[in-house]
Amino acid sequence: MFEFARYDAAKRVKGSVYLAIGLSLLAAFAVWAYPSYSQAMDMGQLREAFPEPMIQAFNIQTMASLEGFLSVELYMFGWVILLGLYLAYSAASIVADDIDRGRMDTLLSMPVSRPRLVFERFAALGVPILAVNLLTPVVVLVSADLIGESLSVADVVALHLLSIPYLFACAGIGLFASVVFDRASIAQRVALGATFGIYLIESLLRGTDYETLGVLAPMRYFDPNEVLLDGTYDLAGAAVLLGMTATLVVVSQMWFVRRDI
Amino acid sequence: MSALTVEDLTKRFGDVLAVDSVSFSVEEGEIFGYLGPNGAGKTTTIRTLLGFLNPTEGTARVLGTDVRDRKALVAAKGRIGHLSDDQAFDEQATGAEILDLHAAVKGDSRRDELLDLFDPPLDRQVRDYSSGNVQRLGLVTTFMHDPDLVILDEPTGGLDPLVKHRFAEFLRAERERGVTVFLSSHILSEVRRLCDRVGVIRDGRLVTVDPVETLLSRSGKVVRINSAEPIPVDFVDIDGVHDLETSVSDDQNADPDAEFTECTFTFTGDINALLGRLPDRELVDASIEEAPLEDVFLRFYGGDEDV
Repeated sequence: MFEFARYDAAKRVKGSVYLAIGLSLLAAFAVWAYPSYSQAMDMGQLREAFPEPMIQAFNIQTMASLEGFLSVELYMFGWVILLGLYLAYSAASIVADDIDRGRMDTLLSMPVSRPRLVFERFAALGVPILAVNLLTPVVVLVSADLIGESLSVADVVALHLLSIPYLFACAGIGLFASVVFDRASIAQRVALGATFGIYLIESLLRGTDYETLGVLAPMRYFDPNEVLLDGTYDLAGAAVLLGMTATLVVVSQMWFVRRDI
Repeated sequence: MSALTVEDLTKRFGDVLAVDSVSFSVEEGEIFGYLGPNGAGKTTTIRTLLGFLNPTEGTARVLGTDVRDRKALVAAKGRIGHLSDDQAFDEQATGAEILDLHAAVKGDSRRDELLDLFDPPLDRQVRDYSSGNVQRLGLVTTFMHDPDLVILDEPTGGLDPLVKHRFAEFLRAERERGVTVFLSSHILSEVRRLCDRVGVIRDGRLVTVDPVETLLSRSGKVVRINSAEPIPVDFVDIDGVHDLETSVSDDQNADPDAEFTECTFTFTGDINALLGRLPDRELVDASIEEAPLEDVFLRFYGGDEDV
């Protein structure tokens, strides 16, 4: 068991290290930029200077504290959008790319069931997800300390832990696209479009009569502001995200097992 | 007992009927050739046998397992080797990494022996492999777990003549060990060299299943003779001569209805009898070659209407 997960995980280590370093640099830059911003201008005014749709889209609550600033600049942008899209994109090639390039026949000529193959290869996405969430909080806390700001260690750690189910749910969207479409390029585009579309629907309809439409959006269940500004951890939201991930994986398995390759 | 049984297998893609009610069986320990031109339905049949495609109608059994029984088929694959017609591996991986993955999943009791024989460059990444090297690595992954049944789709494509020869010897030795081989090909000479029995498929339909000798006697030879002196047309007036074309070269003063200096025909009789009739003339050139597969199909198995 888990031969394919191990194989894929090993293949993902190098890229995951680069990804973690890249996002850590983004984190360090955000923390480093904060003092010069906050000294140069009134951060309350900076928030107001954003157009309303952007305030809505990035869920900008405040920028007048390092927590609020990081929520927007690093976590809403880097985690919710960038990483979410990256994982959806990455997962979209899990099945489609192998079919596209004729490798699926080689894999499935081994004694392995399609559901097991899908699950194991999906699980290997845990490598990039864990890598970014191990390195970045350390960088955030150390850089905050270096500029003389104190952040709650528990909140930062909790934020990164809560982002794990969120990122798996985004990967689940990509996985589903991957089993439905034969061509990796199409699966990847659909995964990116769907994830970003869902994000826009959720953020722009928030507070309107159509708010309920965002109920299927993973972004509804992971809010960096809530964790960093209020110190509240939405465990129920995390459970919903895990359920969403499990559902997407199971539906993908069922779809993949029935289809012709 | 049959190692492989195909029962009324039909596979339809939308309006296209790729495999049309095909039935045959392959006995344990035989090498069965599945011969047909490109696009005849060979790969579709094979991919259905391995569960990659769902049959539209009918079914097949591999090592006694119904291919529609997904769980049982996964288990049976531990005893099956498969080489695809477009074998592809993870390009980022080295040959050794690929083999390690296959070994972990299905075992590798014959790995070293196969590496001695086919020798793919293990330390190189697959992306740097030539198509021949991909095929060599594929032959190792196909046989490394000592399967009872191997299903090979155009196995010699991309192999150089030396490795092709080694592969043929290896395959015969496998048959002696009791391994059942099902291989597809569009090359008649390859099937002749390797197989005991041959199923011929054309436009999705199985045209015939014959011992290889029968197929050969039916398929015939293309005979070309170029003589320095005219030869009487009587020479080719025997049974087994088809598609005769004769001509007389311009410098010869001969009656084209009674004599020829050049002729081409397909011959399905005893080649010794034919050569025995050849009059004592000085020849410029002569050749006896295998008939092209497409011609064989057209002549002996007919077109679409009368198959």
